[in-house]
Amino acid sequence: MPLQTRCGRIRCGDDMEYKIEDIAETFDGQILKSLGNNEYTIKIGPQERHLKIISMDSRGIEFILDQKYHKAKYLEATTSQMNLVVDGTPMKVSMNSKLDEIVYKNSGGGSSTDAQTSLKSQIPGKVVSIGVSEGDSVKKGDVICVLESMKMQVSIKAHKDGTVGKIKIKAGGSVAKNDVLAEIE
Amino acid sequence: MIGKVLIANRGEIALRVIRTCKALGIKTVAVYSDEDYNSLHVKKADESYHIGKAAPKESYLNQEKIMEAILASGSDAVHPGYGFLSENSDFSKLCEDNKINFIGPSAVSMDLCGDKMRCKAAMFKAKVPTVPGSPDLVKNVDEATKIANEIGYPVLLKSVYGGGGRGIRLVNSDKELQEAYETVTGESIAAFGKSAILVEKFLEKIRHIEYQLARDKHGNAVHIFERECSIQRRNQKLIEQTPSPVVDQKTRDRIGEIAVKAAEAVDYTNLGTAEFLRADNGEFYFIEINARLQVEHPITELVSGLDLVKLQIDIANGEPIPFKQKDLKMNGYAIECRINAEDTFLDFAPSTGPVPDVTIPSGPGVRCDTYLYSGCTVSPFYDSLMAKLCTWGQTFDESRLRMLNALNDFYIQGVETSIPLYKTILKSDEYKNGSLSTDFLKRYGIIDRLTQDIKDDKLSHKDAALAAAVIHSEYFKSRAQSHASSNPLWKDKMW
Repeated sequence: MPLQTRCGRIRCGDDMEYKIEDIAETFDGQILKSLGNNEYTIKIGPQERHLKIISMDSRGIEFILDQKYHKAKYLEATTSQMNLVVDGTPMKVSMNSKLDEIVYKNSGGGSSTDAQTSLKSQIPGKVVSIGVSEGDSVKKGDVICVLESMKMQVSIKAHKDGTVGKIKIKAGGSVAKNDVLAEIE
Repeated sequence: MIGKVLIANRGEIALRVIRTCKALGIKTVAVYSDEDYNSLHVKKADESYHIGKAAPKESYLNQEKIMEAILASGSDAVHPGYGFLSENSDFSKLCEDNKINFIGPSAVSMDLCGDKMRCKAAMFKAKVPTVPGSPDLVKNVDEATKIANEIGYPVLLKSVYGGGGRGIRLVNSDKELQEAYETVTGESIAAFGKSAILVEKFLEKIRHIEYQLARDKHGNAVHIFERECSIQRRNQKLIEQTPSPVVDQKTRDRIGEIAVKAAEAVDYTNLGTAEFLRADNGEFYFIEINARLQVEHPITELVSGLDLVKLQIDIANGEPIPFKQKDLKMNGYAIECRINAEDTFLDFAPSTGPVPDVTIPSGPGVRCDTYLYSGCTVSPFYDSLMAKLCTWGQTFDESRLRMLNALNDFYIQGVETSIPLYKTILKSDEYKNGSLSTDFLKRYGIIDRLTQDIKDDKLSHKDAALAAAVIHSEYFKSRAQSHASSNPLWKDKMW
């Protein structure tokens, strides 16, 4: 995975795939470059566009795309789906998120140290579901549990092959950063 | 003289009445249920009285409670709005008994308007044409057949106790009528315990055209032109306009005179509406008088320049109507769209709940009567009408295009609305060229067109949606990564 470069407050991201309900095509979307002053070069489908953010918070955004003003409201957003109202029109956008991958890498999934048995949470959050039982054998990359943080769901994956030992969390419970989720022996 | 009015209603019509009262220097009193503590009419009135629980029966229909509020507040008049107690002659009688000026017709006249058979008989006497059919209930199948042959097939066999498609049959011949007679009798008895059958001519591709009436206590009567209300769903009006595309000045005068005769036939006072069906051959048939201020009165105000609520109050005060029929001139074109909280795709099922954000359209020739404000709630206990959006133009097309623009500007967050449906209707060629009928939605497959319009609309907003989604997901990904890597630069706040 390439190193993330920080550009302004929003990082230049990976190329992600977006789909709008009722529209058959899928579109690539990505922030290519931060130009400073809340201006960005973004890619939508094959085109590069200029975008200036006028204001933004968790509920909505006002921006100028090339020469045209737009206003969008974020009604509900998870990492994989978003309900928005764009200039008065309700839309549903789903995206193929790479977030799971990022958390996976950061939790040690990318390294090859098999010695560590504890699978730790890299983020604080609520336990949405647990995908394994004690005694199950798992492969590196299998989903152990799903956490929810800031309205986003993140799958936590096994960092190595092994057998699930003690599961330290309960569905519906919450975990702090660095809490041990499960032992994989 | 009326000095203080209690408005026995809620929502946009309560606000509408309050507005005119304030302009006339009349004090206003609102009433409200548990559900309406936070409603705009309570905030705008000079005083407000709580009258009970959310269910209409226990508040807005509770005559005793409302009368208590009238007396406690020292109001000398009551405006009933539309719906609720507006056409309840017991309530208007209760007001008469308590010497409270009820802004509307007398209890006697209201009763007559509400009784379809007696009203029809009165119209027959006054030579007001009604839908051809049996003058009264038919005694047996032979009498029904005889009348059907006089007025000509197809006819409807109707039980007066029917409704909702039960106890009603469309028949095309003597043979069909004889078969259906038994069925209708049976259905009516099964559902309502008794049968009483009428024969009525079946009219196809009908339009609903109504006349605004005003008649004072001195017997002066005028009509304030027609309104065409043909675009409906389940017999409820959605879009109204004036003038009607099929009413020229000659027809306006001719049917207007009949409408005035109808008001005189039932000794109607104050403002009311004579409803007509117009058959495809151009014939008009009287159906009923609505003994109240209509929902769609604003379009008449837009083309006449009159304040109809003021006219109601003046008439209630015993003043003569200050103009003659010949003084009234129609100016321009007006359209009303009833903005309902409903889901067009769920068979117009109501959609209720909090409305965190609203943008109300405005501009030249745009009027919006509404109870909405950012942070209000659309209650499941009452009517789904949230707003009446009206536009005026010098030409029909100017009013239509202003309406389309205003519909685009109208944003209501949190509930489904009929706005997208209206955009599809107003853009249609059939609407543009005035091919209206009460089955407009079905006849022209409007719902299918709406589905396509929604897809097209999404397509035209695609780039902005993707841009907003990209920024949002990158932003939140940045946050998640910051958490994941304990980025010390991260400050836990938004922009």
